[in-house]
Amino acid sequence: MGAMEVDSENLLQRKQSLYQTSDELFEIQKEMYRGQQYSQIYFARLHLLRTLLYSLIPTWKPHLPVCTVLELEKGKECVVVGTIYKHMKLKPSVLDEYSKKRSATPLVKPHNFMHPDDQLVLEDESGRVKLRGTALLPSVYVTGIVVALHGKETDAGDFLVEDILDAGLPPQIELPLKSGEDKYVVFVSGLSVGSSSSNPLQFQLLVDHITGHLGDEKEQSIAAQIVQVVIAGNSVEVPHGLLNGQNLASKDQSRLSEPIKELDILLTQIAASIPLDIMPGHNDPSNFSLPQQPLHRCLFPGSSAYNTFRSCTNPHLFELDNVRFLGTSGQNIDDLEKYSEAKDKLEFMERTLKWRHLAPTAPNTLGCYPFTDRDPFFVESCPHVYFVGNQDNY
Amino acid sequence: MASTRGDMKGFFRQRKKSGGIAKPSAKPKGKVSSSSSKKSSPNHSVTFGSDIAQPPAFVSHGSVNLNDYYDENEEVLRQFDMNMVYGPCLGMSRLARWERANSMGLDPPEDVERLLKGAKASSECLWDGRV
Repeated sequence: MGAMEVDSENLLQRKQSLYQTSDELFEIQKEMYRGQQYSQIYFARLHLLRTLLYSLIPTWKPHLPVCTVLELEKGKECVVVGTIYKHMKLKPSVLDEYSKKRSATPLVKPHNFMHPDDQLVLEDESGRVKLRGTALLPSVYVTGIVVALHGKETDAGDFLVEDILDAGLPPQIELPLKSGEDKYVVFVSGLSVGSSSSNPLQFQLLVDHITGHLGDEKEQSIAAQIVQVVIAGNSVEVPHGLLNGQNLASKDQSRLSEPIKELDILLTQIAASIPLDIMPGHNDPSNFSLPQQPLHRCLFPGSSAYNTFRSCTNPHLFELDNVRFLGTSGQNIDDLEKYSEAKDKLEFMERTLKWRHLAPTAPNTLGCYPFTDRDPFFVESCPHVYFVGNQDNY
Repeated sequence: MASTRGDMKGFFRQRKKSGGIAKPSAKPKGKVSSSSSKKSSPNHSVTFGSDIAQPPAFVSHGSVNLNDYYDENEEVLRQFDMNMVYGPCLGMSRLARWERANSMGLDPPEDVERLLKGAKASSECLWDGRV
């Protein structure tokens, strides 16, 4: 990169936006683990969504009574609200290792665990009931969603479903009036610094473009309109071969921290010129279960010196000029893909908004902290921008 | 039930301050009640210390009460633990569960709050340490 001539008459200023974060929702520093199990978070989720659904049912099916699972009577048409559980034959269970009979489940993990025999069950505090009928497709639903179902109990003791009601899209605060100037946010994910497939030149190109070191004035003026960079997970790839449980030699220790150091150098360049949010992903050095906590500042000695550098949780909720952004590093959508099907990833994302829950499969198949009094993945108000990182294609 | 209750009271281990294990008057009845006690030993914990007629729900508490002192305050708190409307009780302190029920708008009974904040009631749920 040669020195760029600065034309002092046309000094470009980067645009700025008012930033507000709501990540406290996802932080777990104040939580204390007291030996609770996941029944508490399921109760919190059921209560939250059930209250919501009860308010929607009178407009949906005004003439039908609402009852709990235990109050179901044969032949009586009614509406019942509960959590869905999907019984899947191919879902890996730790007990399979101990079962005497070698069942048909293959040892190699399939990409998707669906099977035509999957069954749905509805559950609330009083009991559970099997769901039948063609209105409810097991391939669309997963464990952990709360829905209202219209139908009746059959002679066999199952519930024949005629109609379904999701919690629906949350209300959206109106977009602020356009001020007339365009501002851009850059979303990046899957940088995987340190992996064999990552190319440092490509990353450097990105950094140069964002910071305005590339191109002519027109290019630079476009770059000046970028107000925020969000890195949505999987920024490093630590060499896993080293982590085999044995003591690390000192040269191996430095190899382990190489990727993070390299990332820090590049992030410092970005943070020096533009506000930067970095979220942890599946491969990053953060906790495994959702909500993932922010990457520690000591990992980024260079970048964290700048106040533009922010380490954020996964999922991440923030506002720029009152435009609401919500997103994850992809674990929630990837998990949905393993247990249900849709025509593309956007459809999965749409479903999470309609179900009003970011990660319904947590804690069933997705690691999750056992909250007792709240469910932070509940979508309170509809974001204006909903993003998911680390997916296959744009 | 009324007659055997008298036997159990006499047979059952009294509190230390009120005397020894078995009063002399209870000895001849002791044999009878020992055989009946084997059939119905869970009821010992239930009837001890209170003369009021026990509601049927009590009999289902099958666990042997390790604490000698078990009064009606504890009974109110146990009923609060068992009530499914307020969610599962395991893994949370009773007060935390009450606070949660309150913030969710479930209207938990006020005397439970009074007992938890005031009297020397157990702060952990019924099953704590037993499951």
